[in-house]
Amino acid sequence: MTSPATAPVMIEALGVEKCYPNGFQALRGVDLTVRQGEVVVIMGPSGSGKSTFIRTFNALEDFQKGSIVVDGRPLTNDVRNIDAIRREVGMVFQQFNLFPHLTVLENLTLAPTLLRQRPKQEVEQKALELLERVGIHEQARKYPGQLSGGQQQRVAIARSLCMEPRIMLFDEPTSALDPEMVQEVLAVMQELARDGMTMVVVTHEVRFARQVASRVVLMAEGQVVEEAPPEQFFTNPQHERSRQFLSQIS
Amino acid sequence: MNSPSLSFARLRRELFATPLDGVITLALVGFLLAVGTAFLRWMLFQAEWAVIQANTTLFAVGRYPIEEQWRLWLLTVLLAAATGLSWGLLRGKGSWPRNDQLTAAILIALAVFGSWGLKLELPIQLRWWGITALLLVVRWAAGRWSQALPAPLLRLVPLVWPVLYLVGMVLISGGLGLMRVPPGEWGGLLLTLLEASFAILLCFPLGVLLALGRRSELPLLRWGSVLYIEFIRGAPLITLLFLGQNILGFLLPGGLAPDRVWRAAWVLTFFAAAYVAEAVRSGLVALPPGQLEAARSLGLPMHQALIHVVLPQAMRVALPATVGQFITLLQDTTLLSLIGLLDLLGSARTVMANPEFLGKNAEVYLVLAVLFWCCCAALGLGSRALETRLNPLATSKA
Repeated sequence: MTSPATAPVMIEALGVEKCYPNGFQALRGVDLTVRQGEVVVIMGPSGSGKSTFIRTFNALEDFQKGSIVVDGRPLTNDVRNIDAIRREVGMVFQQFNLFPHLTVLENLTLAPTLLRQRPKQEVEQKALELLERVGIHEQARKYPGQLSGGQQQRVAIARSLCMEPRIMLFDEPTSALDPEMVQEVLAVMQELARDGMTMVVVTHEVRFARQVASRVVLMAEGQVVEEAPPEQFFTNPQHERSRQFLSQIS
Repeated sequence: MNSPSLSFARLRRELFATPLDGVITLALVGFLLAVGTAFLRWMLFQAEWAVIQANTTLFAVGRYPIEEQWRLWLLTVLLAAATGLSWGLLRGKGSWPRNDQLTAAILIALAVFGSWGLKLELPIQLRWWGITALLLVVRWAAGRWSQALPAPLLRLVPLVWPVLYLVGMVLISGGLGLMRVPPGEWGGLLLTLLEASFAILLCFPLGVLLALGRRSELPLLRWGSVLYIEFIRGAPLITLLFLGQNILGFLLPGGLAPDRVWRAAWVLTFFAAAYVAEAVRSGLVALPPGQLEAARSLGLPMHQALIHVVLPQAMRVALPATVGQFITLLQDTTLLSLIGLLDLLGSARTVMANPEFLGKNAEVYLVLAVLFWCCCAALGLGSRALETRLNPLATSKA
């Protein structure tokens, strides 16, 4: 799954620092480079800043120092630039965040019909194909509240994909799910990775990281502690902090 | 299940379970009977309804010129049709829930017994029967065939109301070839409903904007909204009404508040907007922040995220409180009589001041109470129907 080091860079973060208004420093100079087709898994104890970090990639969080370039566009305060980046970057949340007042199909078609200005039928066709791909074709006319957690999260993935993003961000996509539903979501993500999607995934799923990740990044206290291919990270971590973390989650 | 003996057993269990329960039940029933019979005796034998019967026109429209009143009849017909249409489409599927049956029964009773009790002239009685029949028939037809209509057409239906409002304004005030009737001649129920509906229609968008402003990230907008809301909520409406009569002429651009009627309407609007803003804000606060984040992360710009994701959900939460505000607003219009307008209460006071009808206050106030109750009940029922309709799980069980 490792892509050659010559593939174009999709995300480049340099020395990102973020301080919340209450004075808590969430990020203390984080670097990360993600190339096209890579799947980067970010792990780390809670409070390590990993969620904050990937939320800076589509400007859901701002940052004070450092720079982030996404798909060739530097993240600035320019609102139009931010909206343009968000259209290229899909995001899947821990809490799904489906729109409960819209049907599953409308959840998928809302943004593309408003932003891509394509005929509604074309968008619906595409949405139904995506729903079929994540295995919930028959639920298209239902409302999110009528689906299980695993189904909702698969709809959320399909909703992001419907915008045809070049990068997908996953913020603990399986943490809010019942154990028996975790696998169906991971399977969808795995297939997505196989199709060559560039992905940054914050997760605690070791098996997923081992099977799918190009690289694993361990964050602690707002910094990157270790960055390594999964085999090396899980069998022979170089840093004491990594060993400590792995002993806690296994 | 509902056989008489069973319900008798249930009555006994619930009302006469212990001797003390029995005594309380008997005492309450006796009290209610005594009050009820006393009230009925007064209503049927002592009260003199001539004060109402002789002044129905005054109560309804004030001093609106008689030869132009056909315009108001036409407006009533249009309103009945629009009400029936919205009512039927809100319910859909040709169903008549119990509330609807009750409402229909009350409407029919009002049309028949109301116009008989008021001793209206026969042609006018017939008109009311016709209007009631029209409302119910349109409601039935709209409910029956709502599924057959194409969806884009259905989405246009709410637009009927603003259009009807403009048409109504022309019908009432004249212009476009109709003779002008200046606001000073509007009165009674007409004026009350006009002021209330004007304020309800305009305070709603204004309230939504204020609620959004209060949560805005722009400090000037935020503090402006907070100041406005808290100032208005801190002042009694009657002082604002008097204040408005004196200063609105300077504050609003020339044509907007030319006379007392329109100044009062604007004050009601600005007043209610502050309360609606707080109701809407409660809806915005109830919404998980993830909803806006999800919408924004899909690339929707702020205004589209608000229109398509945030507001529809916030409004569903805020709807009951907002409608409660509308009902209060309708009742607050009675304060207009204190600034010298002849709204329903104002007209009633002129009637009661007439030496011919001296001492007939009870009859007049009772009729006013019933009229207000009818209007508020209609608003309440409408809002509950809308709530059911807006709940996605309630509609998807089709």
